[in-house]
Amino acid sequence: MSTSAPITPATPSTGNTDAFDPITLEIMWSRLISIADEMWTTVLRTAVSTIIGAAQDFGCELLDQNGDSLAHSYRSMPVFNLIMPELTRQVVQQFGVDSMRPGDVFTTNDPWLCAGHLDDIAVITPIFHHGRVVAFANTVAHTSSIGGALDGLSVKDLHEEGFFMPLLRLYDAGVPNETLFALIRSNVRQPEMVLTDIEAQVTANVVAAERITAFLTEYQLDTLVDLAATIQARSEQAMRAAIEAIPDGVYSAEEMVEAAGSPLKLVATVTVAGSDIDVDYTGTDAQRLAGGINCTFTYTRAHTVYPLKCLLTPGIPNNEGCFRPIHISAPERSVLHALPPASVNSRTLTGWHMHTLLFRALAPAMPERVQAGNGLMYTLRAYARDEHGQPRNAHLICGGGRGAGFGHDGVTRNCFPSSAGHVPIEIFESRVPVLVDEDTLTADSGGSGQWRGAVGQRVTVRKHPDANLPVTFYVHPDRLRFPAPGLVGGSASQLNQVLLNGTNLAANGHMPSGEVTLRTADDRFTSIVAGGAGYGDPAQRAAEDIAHDRAYGYTSAGGGGGDAQD
Amino acid sequence: MAERITSSEDSRRVALSFDIGGTFTDFVAVDVDSGEVVAQHKVLTNARFPARGVLRGWQDMAQAGLRGGDITYAVHSTTLVTNALIERKGALTVLLATRGFRDVLELARQQMYDIYDLFAPPPEPLIPRPLRLEIDERSDAAGQILLEPSPESIAAAVEVIRNSGATSVAIAFLHSYRNPTNEQLVARDVREALPEIAISISSTVAPVVGEYERTSTTAADAFTRPGVRDYLTELERALQDSGVTAPLFLMLSSGESASANTAREHPIRLLESGPAAGAMAAAYYGTLHGVADMLSLDMGGTTAKACVIEGGRPELAHVLEVARVRRFMAGSGLPVVTPVVDLIEIGAGGGSIARRDEIGLLRVGPDSAGADPGPACYGLGGTQPTVSDANLALGYLNPTNFLGGDIPLNRERAIAALGNLGSEMNLGADDIAWGIHRVVNENMAAAARVHIIERNRDPRDLTVIAFGGAGPAHAVPVARILGCRTVILPPGAGVASAFGALVTPVAFTAGRTRMLALHQADWDDLNATLSAIEAEARAEVRSAGVDDATAVVRRWADMRLEGQYHEISVDLPNGTLSAADLPQIQATFDAAYARQYGRVLTGLPIEALHWRVTVTGPDTSIGVHTQEVGDVDASAAITGEREARFHDGWQTTAIYDRAHLQAGMTFTGPAIIEEREATSVIGPGDEAVVATSGAIIVTLAGVATAAAAATGTEEQV
Repeated sequence: MSTSAPITPATPSTGNTDAFDPITLEIMWSRLISIADEMWTTVLRTAVSTIIGAAQDFGCELLDQNGDSLAHSYRSMPVFNLIMPELTRQVVQQFGVDSMRPGDVFTTNDPWLCAGHLDDIAVITPIFHHGRVVAFANTVAHTSSIGGALDGLSVKDLHEEGFFMPLLRLYDAGVPNETLFALIRSNVRQPEMVLTDIEAQVTANVVAAERITAFLTEYQLDTLVDLAATIQARSEQAMRAAIEAIPDGVYSAEEMVEAAGSPLKLVATVTVAGSDIDVDYTGTDAQRLAGGINCTFTYTRAHTVYPLKCLLTPGIPNNEGCFRPIHISAPERSVLHALPPASVNSRTLTGWHMHTLLFRALAPAMPERVQAGNGLMYTLRAYARDEHGQPRNAHLICGGGRGAGFGHDGVTRNCFPSSAGHVPIEIFESRVPVLVDEDTLTADSGGSGQWRGAVGQRVTVRKHPDANLPVTFYVHPDRLRFPAPGLVGGSASQLNQVLLNGTNLAANGHMPSGEVTLRTADDRFTSIVAGGAGYGDPAQRAAEDIAHDRAYGYTSAGGGGGDAQD
Repeated sequence: MAERITSSEDSRRVALSFDIGGTFTDFVAVDVDSGEVVAQHKVLTNARFPARGVLRGWQDMAQAGLRGGDITYAVHSTTLVTNALIERKGALTVLLATRGFRDVLELARQQMYDIYDLFAPPPEPLIPRPLRLEIDERSDAAGQILLEPSPESIAAAVEVIRNSGATSVAIAFLHSYRNPTNEQLVARDVREALPEIAISISSTVAPVVGEYERTSTTAADAFTRPGVRDYLTELERALQDSGVTAPLFLMLSSGESASANTAREHPIRLLESGPAAGAMAAAYYGTLHGVADMLSLDMGGTTAKACVIEGGRPELAHVLEVARVRRFMAGSGLPVVTPVVDLIEIGAGGGSIARRDEIGLLRVGPDSAGADPGPACYGLGGTQPTVSDANLALGYLNPTNFLGGDIPLNRERAIAALGNLGSEMNLGADDIAWGIHRVVNENMAAAARVHIIERNRDPRDLTVIAFGGAGPAHAVPVARILGCRTVILPPGAGVASAFGALVTPVAFTAGRTRMLALHQADWDDLNATLSAIEAEARAEVRSAGVDDATAVVRRWADMRLEGQYHEISVDLPNGTLSAADLPQIQATFDAAYARQYGRVLTGLPIEALHWRVTVTGPDTSIGVHTQEVGDVDASAAITGEREARFHDGWQTTAIYDRAHLQAGMTFTGPAIIEEREATSVIGPGDEAVVATSGAIIVTLAGVATAAAAATGTEEQV
C-alpha cells in the first residue's frame, strides 16, 4: 500500500503574485536569502562542536506563515533544506499559530518530523510582526552527541539510538523549558557542547526575527503573504517549465543496496506528466527493525527532491515553489518509509543510493543531465588511548570519486551527496596516535566510459611506533558488493576494499564487524574508497583523453580506456 | 600626459608610489616634507611586460617635471602574482611531497562548493600529477623525525626535475610546520644538484598545520617565484637607469610594506597587494578624520571590495582563495595561507552586466563586460546594459568627462541597451537603469553586511570610506541600505591603492603553528618558538632599512575553546611567557571572545594554534597636505546642472568640479561632483562638507546614529 505525500500539504498560495515589479522582487528576495546566510554565519561562529564548525553539518531556512519555504542559506546542508518546510508545517499544525507568543521556540529531533535520525536537532522560532506570526526561522544541526550506542550498526531498534525529543517548546514566551533542558543534560554525552550548539541555533533564529521585522518595516508590509506567494509562484513556474521539457512517460529503475550485509532492493517509478513529476517507491523492500539503515519518509522526500533539483533547476534559489510539482509516495514500513520503532541512525547507507536510483530511472528521458553512480564517502573513526591512558578519538572523512555524465568526467574527491569536507591528515595524526602511510588517488578505481568516473582514493594507516596500546577503527563502508553503476554504456566503478595486512576483511562483499584493531606496529589497515562510474561507450573516449588518463595515472597501462581492471 | 605636477627649482624629497592593476597602472607622488600631492598619473598596464608600463608612466612624469634624484622613497603594489595564478602563467613547477602524499593537491578539501551542480569542476592543481613526486621521509605530529629523507629518492626526483625542464620546485612534507629539518635537507640537496632552480619550502612559506592548505600555498609560491624574481630585477634596473635610485619597497597582501628582497623571497605575499593598499588608504583617511571603525568600499570596473576596519586598522585574515573556478563561489579556488587584509570581493562594478534571469527577475553581475568590449556606452561593441550604462542614463555620469574625456560615453547606445532589456521585461529604459542601480547597491550592501556580521559588528556603527572608479557614485545609497550615517569620499578616488601604499609603514608578520592546550603549555618551547618567529620578522624589517630600536613588536596567537573550529586573535604579554601569564591571557581571550560572539563561555579549556609576531617600523610620516579652511561659498565650484534620477524621481542636480572644491565648503544634495577618474553622487537632502584633507564628508539625511536607531527598535518591540 502506498501513502501519498506530502504528509502535511503545502498550503495552496492565496497571496497576490502580481504585487511586485521584477526589480523590487529581486531586491526583496535577495534580502531574504541574505538573512538566511546571516543565520548560517551566526550558527557557525557561535557553535562549539567540530561537527558544526569543521564539517558544517547544519542548515538554516526562512519559511512563510504557513511553514512553506522562502529561502535557505546557500551554504546549508542540502537535505536539511528540504526537511525544514515539512517540519515547520508540523509545528503550525500541532500548535496552531494562534497559540504562539513572541519568545516561543520549538525543538525536536524526531526522525519522522526532522532529518531522519536522532542526531539532527531542529530549532524553530515563529517570527512576529504587529502581533502576528508572519514567518518562521528554522535551523537544523547535527549535534555532537545524542546518547545511545556508539556502534550504530549494532542497534536493535530506535530506542538504542539515543535520546528522543518529540516536538516541544524549548522556550515558552521566553521562559526556558527547564524540564527539557534537564533531560537533554542527563541524556547526552557532552551536555555543555550540545546545549551551547542548541543556543547557537536559537541565536541564529533571533537574528532572523530581527532582520525580518526590520525588512517588513522598511518595505511597509504587514505580512509576507504576497511576497511568499510571488517567490514561490515564480520558482514553481521555472520548475514546471523544466519538467515540461522532459518527455512524458513512466520511467523506472531498481537499485540494490548492501545495507550492511543483507542486501535490499530499492525501486522507483517516476511518472512525468506535463509539468508534474510523481515518484513512487512501491516494490522497495521492507524496513528492518535493527541496523539503522531505514529512512523515514521525510528523509526519503528530501533525497528525492535533492537529485531532482540538481537535474532540473540547479540555478534557481530553492523554495516551496520548486517542490510543488514533485509528488512522492512510498509504501509504509518499506525501508524508504520506515515506521517506529525501526532504527534509523545509519540511514545514509540507504538514502545516498536514491540519487543513483533516480538518475538511472531518468537517464532515458534526460540523458544529457544525469550522473552515473557515485563512489560515496565514508568515515574512518579511530579510537585510542594516549600515553596517560586518556581516550582519544578522531574521524577521517574520505570522499569517493563521483560519477560521469554527458560531456563530463566525474568530479574527483568529494563527499556528495553530503556537503561535508575532509579532515587534514595532520590534524587526524595529532588527535590519535597513528600514521597515515598514504592517501592517494587509485588508478582504475573509476568506471570507464566516453566520460570516465573519477578515481577514488586509497588510505593506509598504521599505529604510531611509540604507541603501546592498540588503536581501533570503526568503519562501515558501502560498495563492498555493488559497485557504482555506469550509465548509457559506461562501466561500473571498482568496489571499496578494506584490508588488514593485505587480507580483505570483506571478502564476501560484507564486513562481519565494522571493527578493525591495529595491535602491533607492523599492522597496516588499508581502505580503498571506490571511484565513480563511467558514462557512455568507452570505445568512444577521445584518444587524447585516454593518453591523458595514462600520463596522469588515472588508468594503469593494463587498465586501458576500456574496462576497469582489478 | 601626467597632470598636476608643480614645478620647483630646489631639490626636494618626493615619495613615489605606483600600483599595477588589471587595466591601469596608477602613480602618485607626494612631497615628503609638505605632504603635498605633486603628481598623479595613470597609464594602461602592459600585461606582458609590466615593468615597461611602469617605465613609460615614470617617463611621462619625468617629462612633466619630476626628477629621479628627488625620489627618496618608492613603493609598489601589483596584481602580478594574482594574475599569474588566474591565468596559470607561472613557472613549470615540480612538487616534492612525503611518500604517499603526492595527491594532496588534488584531493583538496573533498567538499562541494555548489550543492546543486553535479559537475561543478574543482580547481585544477597548479602542479600536474606527473610532476608531483614523492620522497621517502616522515615526521610525526610532535615534530619527531621518523625517517630521514632517503638519498635515493632525492636523486630520483632530481633526475625527473632535470628532465622536465622545470624551473621551480615546491617542497611540502607532512608536519614540516613542526620541524623543518627534512624539507631543508632536501632543499639543500636539490640546490646542490640544480643550482639555478627556484625552491619554495612549506616550512618557510606557510608553517601552519593542514597539509592541503600549506602545500597549495607552497605550490603557488613556487609557481610565481621565478616570475617575481625576474620582474623585480628588471624593474629595479629600469628605475635605476631612469635615475630613480631610492630603494624599492613592495606592498604585501597583509597591508604591510617590505623591501624588494623580502618580496623576492616571499612572492606569494604580493597577492592582492593593490586592494590591501586601498584598505590602508581608507584607514588613513578615516583616522585623519577621527573615525576608528569603518567599512572601506572600493568599487572598480569588475568588482567591488569591502573591508572592515576596526580601531584604524584593517582586519587581517590568514587564508584567502585565489584563481577561483567560479569567481564569487567560495571553495572553488586555490587556498593560500598568508597574512592578508580581510577583504571580500563582490561581483559588482561599473562593467557588471544586467540581465533577466530564468525566473524573470533583474540580475546585475557578477558577469562583467570588462574593459573590452566594455559597457554599451563605450561604443566598443558592447550591447548588454551595465552599471555604467545605467549611471549614464540616470544622469550621474557626464558623457564628456569620463576619465577626463579620454573615453567619450555614448548615451544613445546606453539607452538602447537598457531599452532592449526593458522590452524583455516590460519596463522602460529609465526603470531598468534605476533598477540596475538599486540592485547593484543591494548586492554590495548584502555582501558587506554578512562580512560585518561575521565580525559581530553593527553596520550602523561604521563610516563608509569609498573610492575606486565607481565607488563614489554608489557609496551613499549603499551606506543608506546598511544604515551607516556618514560617508567619506577621499580625494584621488582613482589612485587610492597607490596612495595607500605611501602611508603604509614597513612591517612583517611571521608565524607558525604550535597546537596546545594553554594550561598544558611547554613554556620553554613556546618562548623559543616566539623568539624564532620574532627573529624572522625582524630580519625582514631590517632588510628594509628599519633600525631595530625603532621597531615595534606585537605578539599574538590564534586561540579557541577546545573543540571549536574558529579561532580568535589574542594579543600576548611582552617578555618571556610563563604560567604566571595565564590569567592575563585568559582575560584577553575572554574579552576578545565576548566582542566576537557576544558572550563568554566558561569551563572549556583554551586551545592555541598559531603563534604570530608582527614587527612594524616607524610611520612613513608622509601625509596629505593640509589646506587652510576658508569661508567659501560652494557655488563657486558649480559648473552646471543636469537632470538626475533619485529615489523620488528626476531632480535638477547641481554639478560640482572637485578641483574647485575647497575646505570648509558645504552643500546639500542632490549633487554630483565630477573629477577626472570618478563621479560622486550625493542624494537629496544629504549634507556634504569639504574637509581640510580634500575629502568630502557626507552626512546622510534620515539615517539615525546607531544609538538612536537602537532606541527606536526597542520602542517598536
